Amino acid sequence: MGSESLTYAVWHHTTLRYTESIGLSFNEVRMRPRDRGSQRTLAFSLLSNPAAVPRSRIDYFGNYVHRVDVSTPHDMLEFVVEAVVENSEPRRRRLTEWQQDGLASDPRLEYALPSPRVPLADITRGMWREWNGDDNSFDAVLATAERIPRELRYVTGATTVESSIDDLLAGGAGVCQDFSHLFLALVRGAGWPARYVSGYLGPSGEQMVTEGQSHAWAEVCGADGRWVGLDPTHGSFTGAHHLRLAAGRDYGDVAPHRGLFYGTSEGAAPEVKVRIARMSHQQVETVQTGTAVRWQQQQQQ
Amino acid sequence: MAKMQVPTLLPAGADECVEPDGSVREPYAVLLDAVRREPGQLPRIRRGAQEWFAARDVTFGVPEDGAAPIFPFDPIPRVIGASEWRTIHRALSQRAVALDHFVSDCYGAQRALRDGVVPGRLVYSSTGYLRDIVGVRPPRATWCHVAGIDVVRVQGTFFVLEDNVRVPSGVAYALEARRALEKVAPQWFATNAVRRIEDYTTRLRRILQRIAPRPWEAVIAVLTPGPFNAAYYEHKLLAEEMGAILVEGQELIVSEDEVYRYDPEGNIQRVDVIYSRVNSDWLDPLVFRSESMLGAPGIIEAWRRGNVAFANAPGTGVADDKAIYPYVPAMIRYYLGEEPLIDNVPTYDLGDRIQREHVVANLDRMVLKPVDASGGYDIHFGRLAGAAQRTELVARIEAAPRQWLAQEEVELSRAICLREDGGLEPRAVDLRPFVLLDERPWISPGGLTRVAANPETLVVNSSQGGGSKDTWVLSR
Repeated sequence: MGSESLTYAVWHHTTLRYTESIGLSFNEVRMRPRDRGSQRTLAFSLLSNPAAVPRSRIDYFGNYVHRVDVSTPHDMLEFVVEAVVENSEPRRRRLTEWQQDGLASDPRLEYALPSPRVPLADITRGMWREWNGDDNSFDAVLATAERIPRELRYVTGATTVESSIDDLLAGGAGVCQDFSHLFLALVRGAGWPARYVSGYLGPSGEQMVTEGQSHAWAEVCGADGRWVGLDPTHGSFTGAHHLRLAAGRDYGDVAPHRGLFYGTSEGAAPEVKVRIARMSHQQVETVQTGTAVRWQQQQQQ
Repeated sequence: MAKMQVPTLLPAGADECVEPDGSVREPYAVLLDAVRREPGQLPRIRRGAQEWFAARDVTFGVPEDGAAPIFPFDPIPRVIGASEWRTIHRALSQRAVALDHFVSDCYGAQRALRDGVVPGRLVYSSTGYLRDIVGVRPPRATWCHVAGIDVVRVQGTFFVLEDNVRVPSGVAYALEARRALEKVAPQWFATNAVRRIEDYTTRLRRILQRIAPRPWEAVIAVLTPGPFNAAYYEHKLLAEEMGAILVEGQELIVSEDEVYRYDPEGNIQRVDVIYSRVNSDWLDPLVFRSESMLGAPGIIEAWRRGNVAFANAPGTGVADDKAIYPYVPAMIRYYLGEEPLIDNVPTYDLGDRIQREHVVANLDRMVLKPVDASGGYDIHFGRLAGAAQRTELVARIEAAPRQWLAQEEVELSRAICLREDGGLEPRAVDLRPFVLLDERPWISPGGLTRVAANPETLVVNSSQGGGSKDTWVLSR
């Protein structure tokens, strides 16, 4: 495939249901991809229901954040993202190890330290040694990414969004978020800066459409400062169909939605639907126009 | 001045007041002479002061059975001579400015981290480092408007024990102690040239006004966690004396990035400046701790956009982290190009293997403190720990070195204090001057002198039963 660019239509629908009507809610949404490496966002829209004007800023980790304040009474809040994203197959680069002194005064040190959801504990250090011995090279990093899906089962519902690495290891099963956290703990323990990436998995090979959830993987940084994507759920480098949304130290930094509301309602887990389709160049133009029209319609309501 | 003989009633070991050769230290000469002549006055003065505190509800601590405890007060003032004070003043000005530069740097270019002056591993793992505010420039580029820097005297030399730049407390107790003593012992002020401290609140108000988005009609609010906070009395007093409103988080609401306060009558008022006594990670549940009930969602965005000012600015906790304290002298050299005028107590960074091994090997001489606690809780003196306790302590340190700080145990100077039974005894004291930072630092002459609860202990925290004294700075 080489550097051929592929274009994807992304439709990302989030629904939050409240048990009672609430008068005011504040929401932070991280659902807009940022151009990086081979990935470009050609069109993007974020609509909410009830309608509100989102305001965006770039956060500490370089991600887009939209603030959406809803001040009309609502018992349900929806976010609809429509985006057209172009990507090409990233180079499968091999990374060189950091010298400890080199990392000590480098800002990327932050990604080699423990973070709230990725503690560096004896259990993951022991696991690294058992798998790789004293080898802390990139080969060992790669072998670790490949080994995680062989050692652990991917079971939807085995864990929740709040589950820890210990929960994953105790149950032996989890989802992409858990696998990514485990991978981060293992490689950080071996001295590599590594970050958590949230995104989507688009169709690959003969597939034209994928439907389901969002995805998560990791990026590891080499001594030259370059980052490489590794997917510990699939045990491989990331490809053109890995569409990157946001990156941070762990899931807590990139959660697609964080919100607060005034009221007595109980919050429920958001329902998320994602649909990603491969597009022809003609389709790209159609969607771009359509998005613009719908955005205007909502503003006029 | 001629050296006086120590009267028999002055206790030995009170090195804060008496030289090793037995002569009274000069700043204390007039005061101790009066004390010696009329020792019977002291219980009366203490009683008078306590009654005065009770009448004004000067409390420290969380209410039990409906009433918070009165702050314990010792009637014999702590006296600092004019030239000693000049040293402290210059040193703490220097230190406060360097700490402010450091906070500014952490949320800006992070030069000190790249240049290896302060280890990035400590900043990036500090609970005081708030990633959501990196890149923000507060009004007048000042972060630490109020700093409370704890100073101790060890064998005649001052050292800094701790920096408080999040929500330093204690100034109200210093102000009230002075008022009480002026009322019940006016004769002492007639014979000693004591510098006045009552313009502290005016100075603080002026700073708050200057950072306001609308300085000409600034509405200033003192944000308190509420009556269950140990320093609630102080929040109330500062609000009253500055003509500010005292608010709790649930009274604040953010709309269109402006901050408003709903008062109990239902009136709505825009707020320009918040003097916050709530730790910054509790300020905005949308950005920081989602469980917080102490702040208001959206308030950080309002600050980011310059619609409300904060003192201290959110994020100053990174300079207040006890694990970063060992690097403050290096900050002074780096940012100011000056030598620190008052040094740290020798302190070890336990995240560094070599320093950690040194501490474990010399545990007898060390005091171990958890980095994220205040109020003197969970402090361990290696000297006093039994074998089992030591093993446990070392295990706790090895398991979480970032959570601990080791300082060499220092012998705090002891001042003469009045015992319950009317006798005198020496007790350890420290000093927390309050530095206000605007264009240049201003320090209220004196500060809060804290006194240990008994002659044996070296912990002076109010939460540990310690009390306070009035603190005098002499003008000559």
